[in-house]
Amino acid sequence: MEYGSIEREIHVDASPEVVFEVVSRPEHMREWWPDDARFKSVPGAPGELFWRDETTGETMTVALTVVEVDPPSRFSFRWCYTDAERGGDSLLVTFDLLPTEQGTRVRMTETGFREMGWEIAVLEEQYRDHVSGWDHYIPRLDAYIARVVSAA
Amino acid sequence: MSTPVDDELWSAIGDPTRRTLIDLLLAAGAGTATSLSADLPLTRQAVSKHLAVLDRVGLVRAEPAGRERRYRVDEAQLARAAAQLAAVGTSWDARLRRIKHIAEAIERSRDHTEGE
Repeated sequence: MEYGSIEREIHVDASPEVVFEVVSRPEHMREWWPDDARFKSVPGAPGELFWRDETTGETMTVALTVVEVDPPSRFSFRWCYTDAERGGDSLLVTFDLLPTEQGTRVRMTETGFREMGWEIAVLEEQYRDHVSGWDHYIPRLDAYIARVVSAA
Repeated sequence: MSTPVDDELWSAIGDPTRRTLIDLLLAAGAGTATSLSADLPLTRQAVSKHLAVLDRVGLVRAEPAGRERRYRVDEAQLARAAAQLAAVGTSWDARLRRIKHIAEAIERSRDHTEGE
């Protein structure tokens, strides 16, 4: 099995304590991600993310498990389980918070199995940077994709 | 939330060798397993297998060429794959921007409270 990961960094003009609350508490998470989130910020705690489909009125529930809760430096959880009851493969999302002079550097990493579809995220990274992974063919394909997307 | 993604399509294009094949086909316009294997450290049989995967999800189209099949990239299907990629890959950027806005708003309100 092959692993892949996507990494993002962003600087936030707020203390690590504040950022930690925003990334790790369900009442904040539903402001930046799902329509609703229910979990306890405790290692090993099971939880759910909810999305409501406005057109059908149906609610989709996605299982997650809190993995690490280390305020104010790290919060991680698993989601996208391939099997019921939180079994099989999953994606691991980790937020690492580093204090800076003005605030916090947030690094988000999502890792998982290639078979799970993380390659979409990785491909996006590679399209954006095309410095690694796709060897010398990348620039040509990249330009082509840009053309077909803009034409679509 | 997440954009529906065609898993089969993505696992087809998720393989670096198959992406290389797509790129070679785009550059050359068309190719057979034999012509493509000449440009790659792969046997004709290995290339055939990869082409079959791409064919199954519609990323390439085949036509008979003598004893072989000549493949071309299906540009519409590749465009569809690219559009999915663009939509899904930007989702973490959007989430992180919202995290930033929320945290900075909280920070400002706390500074304000402390300043009074």
